[in-house]
Amino acid sequence: MTNNGSEKYPNIFQSGRIGRLISKNRIKYAATETNFPFGDGYVSDKEVAYMEAQARGGAGIVTTQGAYPDKLGEGKGFKGSMAIYDDRFIPGLARIADVIRKHDALSCLQILHCGREGGVELDYCLMPSIVPQKLSYFKPPREMTKDEIKQAISDHIEAARRAKDAGFDMVELSGIVGYLISTFISRYTNKRTDEYGGDLRSRCRLMIEIIQGVKARVGDIPVGIRLCGHELLDDRGGNTMDESIETFRIAEEAGADFLSVTVGWHESSQSVITRDVPMGHWLPVAEAVKKKVNIPVMMAFRQFFPHIPEKAIAGNRIDFWELCRPMIADPELPVKIKEGRENEIIPCVACNLCFSRLYYHQPIMCTVRPNLGHEAEEDWGYYRFYPAKKNKKIIIIGGGPAGLQCAAVAAGRGHNVILYEKKKELGGSMLLASKVDEGAIELLRPVNTLEALCRKAGVEFRLSKEYTGEMLEDMQKKKEVDAVVIASGSVFKESHNILTPHNIIAEEKKPGRNIVIIGGSGTGLGIAVFLLRNNDYRITIIEEGSKPGRDVNPFYLWQYMGLMKKKNVIFYTRSRVIETGEKTVRFACPKGEIVLNPDSIIMARSEPNKAWHNAFIDITPEVYFIGDAKKPRRLQNAIHDGYRTGMAL
Amino acid sequence: MIPVIDKDKCTACRKCIEICPPQAISLKDDAACIEADLCEECGFCAAECPVNAITIPFPISGR
Ligand SMILES: Cc1cc2nc3c(=O)[nH]c(=O)nc-3n(C[C@H](O)[C@H](O)[C@H](O)COP(=O)(O)O)c2cc1C
Ligand code: SF4
Ligand code: SF4
Ligand code: SF4
Repeated sequence: MTNNGSEKYPNIFQSGRIGRLISKNRIKYAATETNFPFGDGYVSDKEVAYMEAQARGGAGIVTTQGAYPDKLGEGKGFKGSMAIYDDRFIPGLARIADVIRKHDALSCLQILHCGREGGVELDYCLMPSIVPQKLSYFKPPREMTKDEIKQAISDHIEAARRAKDAGFDMVELSGIVGYLISTFISRYTNKRTDEYGGDLRSRCRLMIEIIQGVKARVGDIPVGIRLCGHELLDDRGGNTMDESIETFRIAEEAGADFLSVTVGWHESSQSVITRDVPMGHWLPVAEAVKKKVNIPVMMAFRQFFPHIPEKAIAGNRIDFWELCRPMIADPELPVKIKEGRENEIIPCVACNLCFSRLYYHQPIMCTVRPNLGHEAEEDWGYYRFYPAKKNKKIIIIGGGPAGLQCAAVAAGRGHNVILYEKKKELGGSMLLASKVDEGAIELLRPVNTLEALCRKAGVEFRLSKEYTGEMLEDMQKKKEVDAVVIASGSVFKESHNILTPHNIIAEEKKPGRNIVIIGGSGTGLGIAVFLLRNNDYRITIIEEGSKPGRDVNPFYLWQYMGLMKKKNVIFYTRSRVIETGEKTVRFACPKGEIVLNPDSIIMARSEPNKAWHNAFIDITPEVYFIGDAKKPRRLQNAIHDGYRTGMAL
Repeated sequence: MIPVIDKDKCTACRKCIEICPPQAISLKDDAACIEADLCEECGFCAAECPVNAITIPFPISGR
C-alpha cells in the first residue's frame, strides 16, 4: 500500500502530544453513544467489536462513548449507555482499553453525566435550577441539593479512577449540549444563589471542582474536557460566546490537559450538524479558544473532508481533528486517507439517523453502512466479504443506491455482475433528492463511492440501456444469467393533469401558484421545500398518515416544517385522495369530503413498478426486489436492502 | 430491535399504523401486527401507542 495520504496531509499525519502522551497522528475518534452496551450498563461484545473496528481504522486517539458515573442513573441518557459507577464494570471497560491499545491507538474514556437530558429510566432529571424542558422528550427537572452536587463531584472522580484502573490512557469529561456540567455553566439553566451559581466563575465551580478532583486522583494521566464554545441560546438567555470561550481558559487553569470545542445545545434553535451547515463552518469557534489557551484544542462538527482539518491544523486553529459521524459511517476513514484511497471512504451524509435512534431506545444504525454493529460477525462482511459458494451470473436492473450497493457486495463476493441503468447517469432517485435544498448535493457522495467500489470489484456497467423481458429470456436461453435483482425504483403515476417530482426538479417545469401535493412524506415535503425556497406558492399537502414527514429525520423535519409554517402551507393528514380531475382534487379527511381547485397537482406518492414483477417472475428462478422497487422508502432502506441481498446471493 | 406488540393490550386504534414510516404495520384479528421484513426498527410505533401495547426489547446482561 502506498502512503501518499500522509504526504498530502502532513499536518494530520504528524504525531501529536497530549500531556505526557504521544499519538501517532492528529485524528481522534469522538465519543459516540451507541446503545450497544447492555441495559444494565455492562459492556457487550458488540460494543467491544465496534470499538476495535474504530481502533483498527487508524485514528491516533479513540474515545469511548460517554459512560455515566452515578449509581442512581440520573446521569444516564440512553437505555444502553455504558456505566462506570462501580468497580464491577472495570473488567468490561478494560476489554475496550485493550482492543484500542492492541491497534496502537491511545484510549480515552469519556465520563458523561447527562444532567438535563439524563434520568432516562427515572421520572426526573437533575439540574442546578428548575428550568422547564423545551424538548418534551426529556424528564422534568429537579434542583440539585448541595449534597447531591458533592456526590456528583465524587462520582466523577471515582469514575476517572476506574477508567485508569481499566487501563485507559486518558480521561475526557463531557460538558456539552445540556449535560450536567454545561447546565451549571450556562446562565440559561443555572439560577442558583449559592456558590455554584452567579457569575461565570461561580457557574464554572462544578467543572473546576470536578477537574481538580479528577486530576488529584489520577494525576499522571491526561484529563480533557468537552465544552460548548458557542451555546446558540441567545433567545433564552444563554451565555455569550465570549463567556463560553472563557470557560475553556478556566478549564485549563483548573488543570485540563486538552480541550474539545463543540457548538450548540440540543435545544438551540439553529442547526449545527445538518447538511445545510457548510463543512468547517464552526472552526472560528475553535480558533477563538485556541488563541486563549496553551493546551491542545480539538473539534469535530462537520469536518468531513481531510483538507479542512489539514488546513486548520496548519493554520494553528486546532491541534487535533475529531470525527464522530464520518467514522460511524466508515471507521477505516483514517487508514483510507493515509493510503490514498479517499474515493473508497463510505461517506456520512449527515442524515442523523444514528443519532435519532438513540432516543427511540434502539442501537444506532447507519444509512450508508449496513454492517454497523456487526463488525465481529463474519456473515456481515465488515472486514471482508465471505466468498460466494458458487459464482453466479447476476443481472442488476437499476443504478440507484440499492442496485449499486447490491452490485458492490455481490461482485465483492466473487459473482459476475452486470448492472443496467436506463439513464445515462447513475444515482436513481438521489439525482432528484440531491437538488432539493442547500447541502443536499452531499447525497450523491454515497453514489460515487458505491460506483468506485463496484468498479474495483469488477461490476460491468451498461448505462443508457433499458433491460427488457426479451433480453432476459434470451440470456436465460444462453444460460447467461442465474439471478436477477430488480432495483429499478418506483414510479409516480403520471397523467396529463398531474406533475411529478421529476417534472418539477429535473425538467424544471413551473407549476401554477396554487398547488396541491399528494403525499406528505419526505418526497412531498422535499418538493414543497424545493418550490418554496425560491418562490412563493400557495401549497396544500394531502397525507394519509397522521404526521407529515414521518419518514424524515427530526433534524431536518423541524427545519422543513419551519419553512412550511412561514409560507402558510396547509396540511391535511389522515386524508385520502378519492379522485383528481382537470384542476380538481377530491379527498376524504377526518372532517368529511373536500374538493380543491388548484392550478397544479403534484403527485409525490410513488409505487413500485409492477410491470417488472409480472414480466420477470416466471422467467428466472432467482428474482429479488430491493429498494423502492420493493416498496418506496428512504435512502437507508435502499442501501440496506442492497447490502443484505448482495450478501444473500 | 423489532418491537413486540401485546395483542391483549392493543385497542386497534391504528395510531402506530399511521406513524410507521415503511408502512410495516397492519391490523390482523383486531390487533396491530408488524411485518418483520419491512420493519426498520425505528421505534416510532412504541413511542406513539397510547396504551403502551408496544415495547422494544432491550437486552440486559443480568450480571
Ligand atoms: C450517535 C451519536 C452519539 C454521540 N454520543 C456522544 C457522547 O456520548 N458524548 C459526547 O460528548 N458527544 C457525543 N456525540 C457528539 C459527537 O461526538 C460529535 O461532537 C458530533 O457528532 C459532531 O461531530 P461530527 O460532525 O464529526 O459528527 C454523539 C454524536 C452522535 C451522532
Ligand atoms: S446514520 Fe447518517 S449521520 Fe449517522 S453516520 Fe450514518 S450517514 Fe452519517
Ligand atoms: S419500529 Fe418503526 S418500522 Fe418497525 S413497526 Fe415500528 S414504526 Fe414501523
Ligand atoms: S397504537 Fe397501540 S393500541 Fe393502537 S393499534 Fe397500535 S398497538 Fe394497538
